[in-house]
Amino acid sequence: MAERGYSFSLTTFSPSGKLVQIEYALSAVAAGAPSVGIKASNGVVLATEKKQKSILYDETSVHKVEPITKHIGMVYSGMGPDYRVLLKKARKLAQQYFLVYQEPIPTAQLVQRISSVMQEYTQSGGVRPFGVSLLIAGWDDACPFLFQSDPSGAYFAWKATAMGKNYMSGKTFLEKRYNMDLEVDDAIHTAILTLKESFEGQMTEDNIEVGICTETGFRRLTTAEVKDYLAAIV
Amino acid sequence: MSRGSNAGFDRHITIFSPEGRLYQVEYAFKAIAQGGLTSVSVRGIDCAVVVTQKKVPDKLLDSATLTNLHHLTPRIGCVMTGHSADSRSQVHRARVEAADWKYKFGYDITADMLCRRLADISQVYTQNAEMRPLGCCMILVAIDPQLGPILFKCDPAGYFCGFRATSVGAKHHEANSYLEKKLKKHPELSYEKTVELAICCLSSVLSMDFKPSELEVGVVTKESPKFRTLSESEIDVHLVSIAERE
Repeated sequence: MAERGYSFSLTTFSPSGKLVQIEYALSAVAAGAPSVGIKASNGVVLATEKKQKSILYDETSVHKVEPITKHIGMVYSGMGPDYRVLLKKARKLAQQYFLVYQEPIPTAQLVQRISSVMQEYTQSGGVRPFGVSLLIAGWDDACPFLFQSDPSGAYFAWKATAMGKNYMSGKTFLEKRYNMDLEVDDAIHTAILTLKESFEGQMTEDNIEVGICTETGFRRLTTAEVKDYLAAIV
Repeated sequence: MSRGSNAGFDRHITIFSPEGRLYQVEYAFKAIAQGGLTSVSVRGIDCAVVVTQKKVPDKLLDSATLTNLHHLTPRIGCVMTGHSADSRSQVHRARVEAADWKYKFGYDITADMLCRRLADISQVYTQNAEMRPLGCCMILVAIDPQLGPILFKCDPAGYFCGFRATSVGAKHHEANSYLEKKLKKHPELSYEKTVELAICCLSSVLSMDFKPSELEVGVVTKESPKFRTLSESEIDVHLVSIAERE
């Protein structure tokens, strides 16, 4: 990264000991579209708002909820282009692990490696931190996992969390509604309701995306399935 | 909150501003409008069309050599809007990427994958301080073997998306509003209607009636999926048809 470019880091300590570029990156995340993750007893749910600015956009051409491997998927809040970079890296890291160990990468391992990449961009020469926070959902060995990875490179395991715009009210909503015995179907329902709290306008199957991770693997719900869940709410 | 030693640099290189914005990327968008040209692109049910203004700044210039429509592969065409040198660089890179894909995988790259690749490259410029973002925006059109006609745009922020119709350049806000109005009812656009919609959009937002020499039109259709630019006489046929309708 620093071969022919800057040989010094652009992210440096302020007199008060803060890394302000990381704080600014977190502002970029907090300005992004809301996303939600909920860990159920038999799986994990990821959901995000995918509002396009005009009807001219073809919403089927790009996706926010993306698989990394058959059993791990992720979603983001923040800057789309930065997300794509991390998505590509995550996919490659997962395959590299498989090549060495001949087993699917455990979710925690993937999260640790991708967070390490994010940390590098806060310390390497001539680059800025990523302007995204990631929600990574996986299933290993009959256990569901939900992790959040921040621009600083720090990562946390969650039972349920929200990111992006109005994430504080999203988290408060989840704190009230979460319990350990939720099943995936209820979790999808709760995730959609959490998004609805801060949603402006009419929520349809075209302006949200939902992904679920269960023992059969990770997949993004089709618009028809999302429509059914939305119908159940209204 | 003290700003540390990064004070003031957020406007010069691509690091975050206190609000979490990238000023250099925002300025790159302004650079696209600097050229003063606007381009419009529309997707029909069996075709995709790109239209751009042709402004020849000097009568001594050989206008045949001045074009903003480019072939990236025989089946993928694009229109470039913005800084002309950056445009040339991006077109060249796109051609290299497309050829590389063909060499590595043995089949032609599709427009959406090419657009994604260029957007990923543009993203690198928004994250590395040593290279500035390019001051140009590319709209790609092609007939995809699975998806049919497709229209993609990639911008200096590294963002890309597929569109039903879009515009870039000095008057893109007005052009997009015009297109939104016309496409609100999801009309089925035939080839002629698609070309005419694109031309009418430009005419309307620029408030001028075009001569064939002032426009460049590029098309891909299901019957002839190879990207081609229309000749002045073909453009004239569409202009006459528009004039007769009104």
